[in-house]
Amino acid sequence: MTAQPQIELTNIDKHYGSFHALRDINLTIENGQFVALVGPSGCGKSTLLRSLAGLESISGGTMKIAGDVMNGVPPRKRDVAMVFQSYALYPHMSVLDNLTYSLRLKRRPKSEAEAAANEVAATTGLQKLLRRLPRELSGGQRQRVAMGRAIIRHPKAFLFDEPLSNLDAALRVHMRKEIRALHDRLRATSVYVTHDQIEAMTMADHVVVMREGVIEQQGAPLELYDRPANMFVAGFIGSPAMNFVDGTVDGSGTGARLALPDEPSIQIGKRLEPGRKITVGLRPEFLQLASGDEAALHLSVTTVESTGSTTYISSLGEPEIVVVVNGRTDVAAGDKIGLAIAPENVHAFDPETGKAI
Amino acid sequence: MNASLRNWLLLAVALGLAALYLFPLYWMYVTSLKTGSEVFATPPGFVPRDAQWDNFPYVWSVRDMGSYIWNSLIIASGTTFLTAALGTGCAYVLARYRNMWIDIGLFLILMLQVLPASLMITPIFVGFSQFGLLETPRLAVILALTAKTMPFFVVLVRATFMSVPSELEEAALVDGNSRIGAFFAIALPLARNGILVSAILIFMQAFGEYVYSKSIIQSPALQPASVGLNAFMGPNTNEWNNIMAYASIYVTPILAAFVLLQRRIVAGLTSGALK
Repeated sequence: MTAQPQIELTNIDKHYGSFHALRDINLTIENGQFVALVGPSGCGKSTLLRSLAGLESISGGTMKIAGDVMNGVPPRKRDVAMVFQSYALYPHMSVLDNLTYSLRLKRRPKSEAEAAANEVAATTGLQKLLRRLPRELSGGQRQRVAMGRAIIRHPKAFLFDEPLSNLDAALRVHMRKEIRALHDRLRATSVYVTHDQIEAMTMADHVVVMREGVIEQQGAPLELYDRPANMFVAGFIGSPAMNFVDGTVDGSGTGARLALPDEPSIQIGKRLEPGRKITVGLRPEFLQLASGDEAALHLSVTTVESTGSTTYISSLGEPEIVVVVNGRTDVAAGDKIGLAIAPENVHAFDPETGKAI
Repeated sequence: MNASLRNWLLLAVALGLAALYLFPLYWMYVTSLKTGSEVFATPPGFVPRDAQWDNFPYVWSVRDMGSYIWNSLIIASGTTFLTAALGTGCAYVLARYRNMWIDIGLFLILMLQVLPASLMITPIFVGFSQFGLLETPRLAVILALTAKTMPFFVVLVRATFMSVPSELEEAALVDGNSRIGAFFAIALPLARNGILVSAILIFMQAFGEYVYSKSIIQSPALQPASVGLNAFMGPNTNEWNNIMAYASIYVTPILAAFVLLQRRIVAGLTSGALK
């Protein structure tokens, strides 16, 4: 492992005509790191990935891969491999030919290419499928061929463009683990684009949350979960999403009065200037059912949904509050429940800027 | 009315219309087998009394059909080759890029489609004569025909290229191919069916072309069969059986090719070359 970062993006800008797709992106990816770019559709994450591959040109900034400036370098000279959402397997070539395509372009001897293909096939479980055409494969198998086509090259970086979004839910969870296991084995630098925050949280070492062409926050997955920099990241990371309630800091400075029916007061775990307007963020999984004096707020329940292992209790009001309870509960729709939350789990945001306080 | 009865009725209507439409073809074959007097018999016979198979070799040798068919083949092959060679790249660019210039280009190409050959031939003739192209009249016809068939080919092949996902070419680029390499290695093989079908249609169109050949080619030795057939039909012609034999020899190969390839042609026209 070298000391220099494998991918280094400085002040990247990208315009499509008048549309500003990427704004001042700064991102450093260490060798062997697995980085997820995550955000809602249209946030620029795919554009950033395609710029890394050289399929889009950037309008400004410096893009370095393994220390070399890559601005304007055509894709074939960047030595990166990409796995596409649609897999983009060459339909007129067998699995073997798909796998060895890049090696054949480099004019490697046939025996060497086939040996490499066999090795990759063994890693990805494709040995028996080498003679098949892509259309004769299932979705999961196509996914593996797409992965294999990238692995065989030993590239400087792997780029994944929502590779799991065409798979069904069960297979997606399985492939998630498989890709991560593969990464742990190969230790290759990977950039993974997804709109699914669970994928990002479970697979990546480093998560980059983007919105409207801007990096909102980046860091280790749990860091984003524990210390979101703003309301967007707080709402995007975590499922179900964080509850946001408007409130006002009370006289003591360590509590807030919430804009809910009967204006409950909760401790916010920090000291703020009394009377300040804030938005309080409460994660559904940190709200606990409580009774008597322990209950800081009271809500009437609208719906109760149970998956068996987890129960989702929601109170449809303005705002809507969702509570996640492990296991089962005897709470029913129409009940009045008491809730408590530890002060250290309460997030406070500035309602004007959305930034964490 | 129940569903099956309605289906039978529709089938009957369809067959009736097909019979009406194909009647001239049938009449051509029947007449080509009749004797000279039987052609003028009233009422006309729908089946020849005594099939005159000799009409075919007779017409072939007397009218020197070998040379005419050969010229038709040269013109059709040349036109098809030139159209495919020039039009494929054009169609690809029009399929892959989207901007104002592309829209203008597409509009101009569709414009060309609108102009009738009989209108275009006069300026083409004058222009070709100034360039001295009338010295090589078959080449001149090939050039003129290529210009005429190009829009049709480009529009069809463009649709084929549009059905090839551009992600495949992007994958090839990332895998280490150049832009032009990705076109030849990925886009072209996947669009092959559509290109072949369009080329076959162009070939058939060029094989039967008349207006340009008639106007540009003066020497009978260089004329295609369409012009030869017309020359056969003078004002005082009465050997209709031989004319029909000529026509039969001319169209049967095209017809046979179409029947053999029709499944692929229909498939190529209606669907993308993929999946």
